[in-house]
Amino acid sequence: MSESTRRERAKEAQTAPEDDHVSGRLTRRTVLAGVAVTTAAVTVGVDTPTVAQSAISDMEAFTQLSAALTGLPAGKLAPTTDSIGIKQQYFNWLNEKEPAAFASLLNIAKRRIAENKDTAPQAMIDELRTSDSTNFLARSIVLMWYLGSWYSPANLKRLVDERSSRVPVFVPHTVISPKAYTQGWVWRIAQAHPMGYSDMQFGYWAREPAPIEDFISRTAAKGT
Amino acid sequence: MADDNVDVVIVGSGFAGALIANELAKLGKRVVILEAGDGIPIDINKYMERFYKAAAKVPESPYTPTLFDEDTGLFSPEVNDPSKMPAGRPTVLTITEDWANPQKSYLVQDKKKDDGQPATPFGSTYDRVAGGTSHWLGTCLRFVPADFEMRKRYPNCPKGFVDWPINYNDLERHYRKAEEELGVSADIGEQNYLGITFPAGHRYPMPRIPESLTDRAVRNALKNLNPAETAFLGMSRPPTEIPVRGVPAARNSQPYKNRRACAGNTNCIPICPIQAKYDPTITLNEALNHKSVTMMKKTVAKEIVLDGDLRRVTQINYIDYGTGAAQKEGRIKAKIFVIAANAIETPRLLLMSQNAGRKPEGVANSSGMVGRHLMDHPYYVAWGLLPKESKALYPYRGPLITSGIEDLCDGPFRNERGAFRVDIGNEGWNFVVAGGAAGGDPDVTTIDFVNGVNRSGANPDGNTGVGMFGKNLVDKLNETITRQFRVGFLVEQTPDPDNRVTLSDFKDGLGLPRPKIAYSLSPYTKRGIVAAKQLQDLLFGKMGAKDRTTVQPIDPTLFEEEINGQRVQLNYGGAGHIMGTYRMGRNPKESVVDSFQRSHDHDNLYLVGSGTFPTGATANPTLTLAALALRTAEQIAKRV
Repeated sequence: MSESTRRERAKEAQTAPEDDHVSGRLTRRTVLAGVAVTTAAVTVGVDTPTVAQSAISDMEAFTQLSAALTGLPAGKLAPTTDSIGIKQQYFNWLNEKEPAAFASLLNIAKRRIAENKDTAPQAMIDELRTSDSTNFLARSIVLMWYLGSWYSPANLKRLVDERSSRVPVFVPHTVISPKAYTQGWVWRIAQAHPMGYSDMQFGYWAREPAPIEDFISRTAAKGT
Repeated sequence: MADDNVDVVIVGSGFAGALIANELAKLGKRVVILEAGDGIPIDINKYMERFYKAAAKVPESPYTPTLFDEDTGLFSPEVNDPSKMPAGRPTVLTITEDWANPQKSYLVQDKKKDDGQPATPFGSTYDRVAGGTSHWLGTCLRFVPADFEMRKRYPNCPKGFVDWPINYNDLERHYRKAEEELGVSADIGEQNYLGITFPAGHRYPMPRIPESLTDRAVRNALKNLNPAETAFLGMSRPPTEIPVRGVPAARNSQPYKNRRACAGNTNCIPICPIQAKYDPTITLNEALNHKSVTMMKKTVAKEIVLDGDLRRVTQINYIDYGTGAAQKEGRIKAKIFVIAANAIETPRLLLMSQNAGRKPEGVANSSGMVGRHLMDHPYYVAWGLLPKESKALYPYRGPLITSGIEDLCDGPFRNERGAFRVDIGNEGWNFVVAGGAAGGDPDVTTIDFVNGVNRSGANPDGNTGVGMFGKNLVDKLNETITRQFRVGFLVEQTPDPDNRVTLSDFKDGLGLPRPKIAYSLSPYTKRGIVAAKQLQDLLFGKMGAKDRTTVQPIDPTLFEEEINGQRVQLNYGGAGHIMGTYRMGRNPKESVVDSFQRSHDHDNLYLVGSGTFPTGATANPTLTLAALALRTAEQIAKRV
């Protein structure tokens, strides 16, 4: 992807109407548009045509893809009123670091959503697993959402290739931003809070936490 | 600096330095503090941002000088070039298989000791910044009475062990004063073990910190034991129950001295984001609020200068590298001098102070003991994982540590092996995974399940390279991470004259020689780790936990011992408890300071901090060094 395309993607994402993913669900409008387009794509046997990208934005595709990969609700990863805006940081980061593989992943997401939104999550995963470039970038994306850190696809592949090593292989990572660390989802999956960032109250640790649903799908994501 | 009317100069603004400065300030004494590093930040936001962004969230990570490239947050050997930093400091990030490389490590770690034996890594670090090593946990245990009398009570212990010149009762009042100053939360009812006493009716400043679910699981596992199972401990009677007690901590359980109650940020080390944990900047700020106290930051003491007959200190020469573009040398005079620069930097300064050849062995060193008997609490850590059928423990919540095992730290076994205490971690496997080779959690375990590998040991069936996505991944991580725990064993170390701090040939950024360290564990100390490992096996067995402790073959701290006929690989880390290098004692030929931490050689020189501990016991040293500092402050106040 060229510099200019990258900038356009970012621009498109910034202006993407939030209403397209109310509560993490696709609106009727985008779904209908997507279905129509997919038929055409299959017919001609080429990658997603440009018209599809106008039907479902790159950011929307990224959100849906992220939800499928992470197992977390799209409306939580990228809420309609997103005061934190971590999705934009991640989107820009991926465009910067892995533009080609990211474009492929977004195309897979768009195509599968257009085919059938109910089966899309698994269909995306099945398809992206068929190529190293998309498979490992998908893993990087999960780690990004979970940990707020960037583990490059190349390093993750190296870990797999050397997984029988006598001494575990060390791979470096970068914390994408202070905000990314404090927004890491793994802490919520553990029914806890990022170390050094909590709004819980004295003594909470003596009791069992609220059910996991309260941390990852209901509203009180940081609740006690 | 107009120094004609300074009462006391203090080198170092950490626990001991800040406490002494503040006590003297309250009496209107004129005090100047020389601080090698940066001053107190206006707020801690920069510390927090640096911590959040740091790829390696090690104890030193929030503090200055930064370890990291500011853009990437990655450890930077260039930024950390120890030959260029004006006030460098050690970091755990250079304690790797390359631990003895002086190009990377501020401490020049020798691979051989004076006695010809191989040396192994010294694993503890410190900070050089206003407030000193604020990356402490907050643990405020008292020593038990026997800790002061190792020679008298355990005549067969190794010969480095000596009695302190004071005993528990001599220090009791100052323990209370230190607990008041630091703000300690604990309940008297569970702190009176092994001879620890309090005056009738006494209470800690605040009630204890509640225990965690992991604490409870460990307690339940050790409630009903068969004497045959605990015979290995060598107590006078094999215990049938090992109590788990709340750890007294300088951590607010209710608002105290204008600071909030702990909110369980699970980040005591390296930094409490709401300062519910005491750190010395609190006392330092109080001291500096007095007109009679000033602090010179970025000012490194380079020499303690003696008078003509070498009896008294007249001035300290320093390098100021912060005020102007160029370094500036200066000197400061006072009536009394206090060196509070920790158990590595203090002996370094004493040894550097050769007074133009008039004192080739350095200041305060007629005994030849300065720099000797370097001790830590070698730290053996074990990682456990409960099976999914077990109730979850929910780690990564609450203060890093809320309870421990204290009752095993004294007994007749001390004739034979090192004692230990146990801390119970509330931070799962955050404190490195897989023997440190892969980093810490939650990262390593998360990567294992996402990427289909098994560096943590938690994914033995999934080491296929396939990995997981989606809801299954969420469930698997929740099930695994909520069942992690770890326990750590802090082992008493033999005071060994050949465990030493000396001056190296390598210089820092100011041209001053960096500290050279030679260090190893004695057989007595290693036998303490063996007993720790046996207790770990007992505990994990009772809990039904899988042992996920790994010692990597490249670990430079690895050693092998035999347990019940089996060769077992063990290792140790640093507890950050740097002690012993200017020990106190009655005999000036065998010790450096008296019980008031005054130099035997120089009447107006005090050396404070845990460097004066003649033996290290097992309790974290801060409360004891704080009590000693307050005792010293009382004596100094009478003299100026």
